[in-house]
Amino acid sequence: MSAAVAQYAALSRRSLLTMVRQPRAIIPPILFPLMFMALSSAAFDRTTQLPGFPESESFLQFLICATIVQGALFASIAAASDVAHDIEDGFFDRLIASPVARTSILAGRVMGSLVFGFVQAWFYLVVGSAFGLTVEGGFIGMIGVTLVAAMFAAGVASLASAFAIRTGSSEAVLGAFPLLFSLMFISGNFFPRTLMDGWFKTAATINPLTHMVEGMRAQVIGGLDLGEWLSAFSIALGFFVVGLVLATAALRGRLAAN
Amino acid sequence: MQGTDGHVVAEGLTRHFGTIEAVAGIDLLMRPGEVFGFLGPNGAGKSTTVRMLTTLLRPTSGRAWVAGHDIVAEADAVRRSIGVALQDAAIDPLMTGRELLALQAVLHGIPSSASRGRGQTLLEMVGLTGAADRRVGTYSGGMRRRLDLALSLIHEPQVLFLDEPTTGLDPNSRFALWDEVRKLNRERGTTVFLTTQYMEEADTLAGRVAIIDGGRIVAEGTPEQLKAQVGVPTLQIVIGHGEDSLGAESILMRFGEPAPAPAGAVAVRLEGGASAIASVVRALDEAKVPVEALDLHMPTLDDVFQEATGRRLEGAAESQPLEQAPNPQP
Amino acid sequence: MSSAEVTWGIARRSIVLISRLPSAFFPSLMMPVFLTISFAGAFSGIVDLPGFPAEKAIDWFIPMTTIQGAAFAGITTGMGVARDFESGFYDRFLVSPASRASLLGGSLLAATLRGLAPLALLTVVALVAGANLHAGAMSIVVLGIACLGIGLCAGAWAVGLAVRFKSTQITPLMQSGMFLTVFLSTAQMPIELLTGWLHGVARLNPMTNVLQLARQGFLGDVTWDTTWPGLVALTGMIVFLVGFAYRGMQRVIP
Repeated sequence: MSAAVAQYAALSRRSLLTMVRQPRAIIPPILFPLMFMALSSAAFDRTTQLPGFPESESFLQFLICATIVQGALFASIAAASDVAHDIEDGFFDRLIASPVARTSILAGRVMGSLVFGFVQAWFYLVVGSAFGLTVEGGFIGMIGVTLVAAMFAAGVASLASAFAIRTGSSEAVLGAFPLLFSLMFISGNFFPRTLMDGWFKTAATINPLTHMVEGMRAQVIGGLDLGEWLSAFSIALGFFVVGLVLATAALRGRLAAN
Repeated sequence: MQGTDGHVVAEGLTRHFGTIEAVAGIDLLMRPGEVFGFLGPNGAGKSTTVRMLTTLLRPTSGRAWVAGHDIVAEADAVRRSIGVALQDAAIDPLMTGRELLALQAVLHGIPSSASRGRGQTLLEMVGLTGAADRRVGTYSGGMRRRLDLALSLIHEPQVLFLDEPTTGLDPNSRFALWDEVRKLNRERGTTVFLTTQYMEEADTLAGRVAIIDGGRIVAEGTPEQLKAQVGVPTLQIVIGHGEDSLGAESILMRFGEPAPAPAGAVAVRLEGGASAIASVVRALDEAKVPVEALDLHMPTLDDVFQEATGRRLEGAAESQPLEQAPNPQP
Repeated sequence: MSSAEVTWGIARRSIVLISRLPSAFFPSLMMPVFLTISFAGAFSGIVDLPGFPAEKAIDWFIPMTTIQGAAFAGITTGMGVARDFESGFYDRFLVSPASRASLLGGSLLAATLRGLAPLALLTVVALVAGANLHAGAMSIVVLGIACLGIGLCAGAWAVGLAVRFKSTQITPLMQSGMFLTVFLSTAQMPIELLTGWLHGVARLNPMTNVLQLARQGFLGDVTWDTTWPGLVALTGMIVFLVGFAYRGMQRVIP
């Protein structure tokens, strides 16, 4: 049992180190959402006065959770393309040939993303605080937000890993990126749903990411709300479960093919 | 002396990259119409030299003139006079051969009325008329090199620079390219500056060869001159089963110093050169020594390289004995 | 005159090659359409702000996303030049007697013309989505002028980087440079409704005037007063960025 844990730990560590050692791969996914947040908060400052805008101090307070989720999304996709790289390079085949537990191959990657997502969320909160962000839910609220972010990062990592394992191509994984970017945008994440109408509002309401981000946002602009938090966390958990199921199936498929 | 058409002259041509001295003072004097070979291993500075002479790289110091024009001060005039086929024939895979020829013609200011005809002639010369309208991505390595050669000739340059033109090609493609280069030089009098890591290529094609290593020229001359400087040919014989090898040895030693030979064979350095082989054969015949196999190993440019640098050229093929007789059974 | 032929030959190759690589072609075409739908859909509420110059979000955003598309087309041209350097194909140009100016001119001409690529598709999107073309066809004409100018600017920026770095690894800098230029201005909100540091930056950013030029036909009449500042801004940006590219080209031989 402890051997398996050691393997999990080792592969998680490798996954994290790979991410950290490639600044060119890591810095854009971290900086781009922050840049976008800075620009949007500045541009849309006046909109907080629109009737129907949720009770938030600033656009920054409104937007921070979407930014955190966006960051988790980008970084996890980059990590999953590493899985595809491993397959392309043959490292994957070496792992399979070794006595490492099969599931730990996947678990390592997912755990790495979970930890990275958690740390990244805290980083964004700290940067936000430096620019005047106040989290109404306090420290506990921040923990709640970062836990959802971590679980979501793990979920995206497993989904993207499933895709990576099935296609074996890092290009395909990165090509899926615009699709997920769309999913983020057609939502209530970057602007209040209350100020939308028509088919866009309907699409945003259907999008599970909307509810996840709104659940996180509640902790930031309203104060601690367990119901909202559970709603957010369960969606992130849902991503994770679906992702794991698909990834395990894909892994089994690839192992059988070998 | 700066020379005129068809000349390539270099004086102390040097290029540093940071602290690395890629080319350390090269002097060259090529005459119009000659095929000049630049032979050396990977990393010797061949491509760097070519890039300087073709105005793609500025020298750190030293000067050079191609077709009478200074490579730095009159770069445009140099470019008008040269054709260039660089290593790895960089060709856009999405374009067709014909489109590339047309683009090349435009780059050299050839009016479209003339370029079509010239393009067609060149395609015929390199045997690519059938593939001309296919995308270059579908071409084999040999076809790409041939297209590159055609592209380098569209403006009928006085000097042609070929940087490792057959590296990575199969033997047939290599021989075909050699034929084309020979024809060009013979029929059009094009001066050819050729770099290569293959001694057979330098030996076969070049009228004069400069051997380059570590950015410096370590030997220069015609292939025959260079090889003669190294030494004399080695004659190796394999005699029949159970025969008296000592007798054969003593005969051979009349003609020169003993040389190393594999088991079952005897070898001698022929002081009298290759023409002494007739005397050796007569002597062995008179002594009734049955000779099963006879091999004359001429010094190669690889031997020249080793003399000058203490190392062998990479990828230099050892010449094989013409026949290997089976080992005599005890 | 052979310089003009070189310029045209290089531009032609750049344009023709787009159609030969459909995997690169479609995303670049779809990107502005997607941005339009996302922005106009998500931020539709901003038109209710007092003093907002447009009735519908689509009127406000389509000129901006079209210009983004033009900028992207220019960047893609620069990426092609970087790829040519990486593969060694650009040596073919450099070793020929073609002037550096005509080589550069070819890439810039391609970038300018490719800047028009999103215009047709987005005009269709605009009509389908019921955008207000207050000034009729002139709305599209001034937007087209802005697209040509921005295509050239983005192309000059990207080519200037390509001839200096000779590698596609500089692509993120190409993209973020253009992105920041567009978004540190009135891309999302009109200048009257901007506050804080962004208001100051947008006032200084020439892109603000270009966006005004591009948007005017969708917000009202096309007038000289809303046009000439944009033309001046475009001219300034063009001079600066083409100069940047030209200086890089002069030093292209290491």
